[in-house]
Formats: sequence, structure tokens, C-alpha cells
Amino acid sequence: MSLDPTAAYRIIEERLGIDLKSADPAAELATLGVDSLTLLELMFEIEEKLGVDIGEDTPPPKTCGELSQLIERVAAGKSAVDGA
Amino acid sequence: MSGRRVAVTGLGMVSPVGTNAADSFAALLEGRSGLRLLSFTDTPHPLSVPAGLCADFDPGAALGKPRASTLDRFSQIGAAAALEAWRDAGLAEKPAEDRATWGVAWGTGMGGALTMERGYREVYTAGRERLAPLTVVQAMNNACAAHLAISLGLGGSCGTHSVACSSAAMAIGDAFRRIRAGASPVMLAGGSEAPLAYGVIRAWLALQVIAPGDESSAPHACRPFQRDRAGLVLAEGSAALVLEDWTHAEARGARIYAELAGYGESSDHANLVRPSREGQARALRAALADAGLAPSTIDYVNAHATGTRDGDAIEIGALADALGAEAARVAVSSTKSAHGHPLGAAGALEAVVTVLAVHRGDLPPTLGDAAALDPDCAGVAHVAGAARRGARPRAALSNSFAFGGSNAVLAFRAAG
Repeated sequence: MSLDPTAAYRIIEERLGIDLKSADPAAELATLGVDSLTLLELMFEIEEKLGVDIGEDTPPPKTCGELSQLIERVAAGKSAVDGA
Repeated sequence: MSGRRVAVTGLGMVSPVGTNAADSFAALLEGRSGLRLLSFTDTPHPLSVPAGLCADFDPGAALGKPRASTLDRFSQIGAAAALEAWRDAGLAEKPAEDRATWGVAWGTGMGGALTMERGYREVYTAGRERLAPLTVVQAMNNACAAHLAISLGLGGSCGTHSVACSSAAMAIGDAFRRIRAGASPVMLAGGSEAPLAYGVIRAWLALQVIAPGDESSAPHACRPFQRDRAGLVLAEGSAALVLEDWTHAEARGARIYAELAGYGESSDHANLVRPSREGQARALRAALADAGLAPSTIDYVNAHATGTRDGDAIEIGALADALGAEAARVAVSSTKSAHGHPLGAAGALEAVVTVLAVHRGDLPPTLGDAAALDPDCAGVAHVAGAARRGARPRAALSNSFAFGGSNAVLAFRAAG
């Protein structure tokens, strides 16, 4: 069993207006108006609302694809912590 | 009067009566109120008060969701109004020219009050140890000005005035002086406020200056100059002006709405909350002298009048003192009756209203029954109940008088 990342995708869509499911993976977040401070707030909200730890050492994603991969990794990490 | 002339070349507004300057001014002329009952239900005690909300403002649509997500509401509505003014002046968001001496002067009384309240609820009520990482930089009073300077590449100055209800007027005055002194050719000036937080409203209620009201009476809870006036109505809102060296504006073919001809300020040095007729008259006389305008040329005053018993009558007294025998023919209205009192942003909203009154020639009214004016507020030509169209004022004043006794008056003159 793994954590459903849907909630994280919903937060991203509500907060940034980006649907990661349909976004071009190569699209650069900066060109979509997402800067480092925007990402900082986004990661905090995901951590708080989903009860996960993204980790301070995680390199910030630069593209939609990298953001999707980060969400999937975090979701998998949560399930591992839970022992699933 | 000395130095360079200052042109108003761009206007923007987000208010309880409209999400841009043109719609807001049209609503004011039509006599539409933006006030309604605001109710809190998820708070320790239920609370309902009349308030002015920018209910139709969509921050994501106005600014893009990523940008809006990093800003407190006072910066969201501030950025929207400022960017409207910038575009209205024919200026691009990305610098196409050297903006090393251009600047922004902003006003706000309470800054990121909503962010602060959310933070307090998180740590005190929800028991959380962590707050959102941008809490400080969203809540700080200079957040909006900083965001604008960064967004527009303004390298000359980035200042924020926090002087209660005179904040934005003093910011506009500061910008005016920079241009007149030759320090900046272009200044973005204005103010924004988003004070409708439960704790903030409780504090204002404790001061006993808030007008009561229910669902049906809330739209007309703010009744400046009326016999039965019962206090002010808190509001959120923002407005901005692009101020420009006259020759700079002419050289690039910019539309000039009006001339910001003078600015006057004074200090009551008397009482934290009770206004001073003498202090206000000093600011009015200073603005007239600075603009080189005689009282006989002033055709309209957008009053500070918030709807309080003492304040409205004292302001009319100050106008009588400063304008002398001319006061009786000078048109006066308080548009707070329609858009409420956005505290530190009030001076910006009312400056934009005054500029549009001069530019278009129509005077917005004080909402309410013209027959119910308080004799204590007599002595000027009130524009009450309905707009006065075709008035074509030659020059007009916008008054802002703050708790703490800081008074600011802006004097505008018709272009041409």
C-alpha cells in the first residue's frame, strides 16, 4: 500500500493552478511563475496537510516532471515509514 | 509652489464597489453601496458587523495563482490595483527603460493583519510549533511595496508609510515630493488594507467607533454628515496612482488625468483619537499654499468623514476655517458611505476618486438622505444622495486625518 498522492496534486492545483497530471513534464516551473519562495510555501503546506516530511536537503524541483517525481517519492516514503 | 509639475498618468483600484478604478467610480456615481454584513462563525464567539469586502476580487485571476499564493491579502489587492495603474499609464511590467531612479511609496495601517491572526490561531489555538515559512515576509507592512518594486524593477526608492488613516495620503505626498524635487521621474504611489480579521474587528469594537447594523441595514450603516450617523464601517481595499514628472509624461505621450498640484500635512499634537479642527485646518492651508491654489479655485473636497459624531463636524469646521467664505459653495462628499473605511488605504481610494472627479467632471455623493444632514455639519455644499454630474471642478482636495493626529491633504488641479 502506498500513500495516494492525489491530495498533494490537489494542493498544487489549488495553490499554483498547475495540473501536474496533464502538464508537460519538461515545463519549467519558473516560467509558470513558480519561484523558490512559492515552492517553500507549497512544500510546507504539503508537509502539514499530508503529515509527510519532504526533508530540508531535498533539491528544489525545476520542472513539472521533477515536481511530480518528488510527490511520488514522498508518497512512497510515507508508506515505508508506516511499514506498509 | 516650486519645482517640477507632477502629472497623474495611471489609476487603479480594488474596492468593495468594484475590482478596477472605472467600475468603482461608476458605482460611486450611481450611489451603489459596497457594504454588507460580515459574519464570523468559526471564532470563540460569533460576530456580525457591517463591513466593506472586495467580494468580487479573485487574486488568482488577477495576479496568477503562484504569485497570489505567496502574498497576504493586503498585498494581493495592493498588487492588483498597482498593476492596473501601471498598465493604465502605458507602462510595461518588465522594464524597457532604466528605472534606477523610479520608486514606490505605499501606505498601510495594519499590513498583514490576516497573516498575523492566522499565525496566532495556529500557535495558540491549534497548538502548532511550525508556521508557514513566509509568515514574516507576508505580514510585514512593507511587503506590498517590496513586491511591487521587485515586480516592476523600481530601483530608486521603496518606502511604506504606516500612519493609520493617513498612511496612503502621506505615501502619495512623499512620492509627489520626490518627483517635484527631481529625484524620480516616475513614482508608483498608493495604499492597501485588508483588516477584516476577527481580532482586529474586536479591537475596533472596543474603541466604540464601529457602526452597528444587520443584514438589511448594513449597506447604509456608514452615514457621514447625517444626523443619525453612528460610526465607521471597516473595509478592505486598495488604490494606486502613477505619478510622473510632467515633462516626462508629455515626452512619452502619456494621458494625463490631472495634476497633483500640492500636498499639505500637519500634526494635531493634541489627542490620540479626538481630531483637532485647528490641526486639520493647518493641513488644508498648507496644501493650498503648496499648490498655489486660492480657496476660490477649489470646487470639490473628498472628505475624510468616516461617519463618527465628532469627526465629521470637526472636519466641516476645519474646511470653513481654511476656505473661509468660499466654503459654502464648495461641493463636499464622503465616499466612505459607499466603500467603507479601508484605514491606511483610504487616502489612496479617495485620491483616485478625486482625480476621476476632476478628470470626468462628475462628483460622487455621500450616500443617504440629503434631507437628513446634521446641522452641525452645515456650511458647505454637500453632495448628498445623488451624484452631481457635469460639475467640472477646476481643483479639488482629498482629506485624510488619522488617529494620532497626523493630517494629510492632497490638492489636484484639472489638466490642461
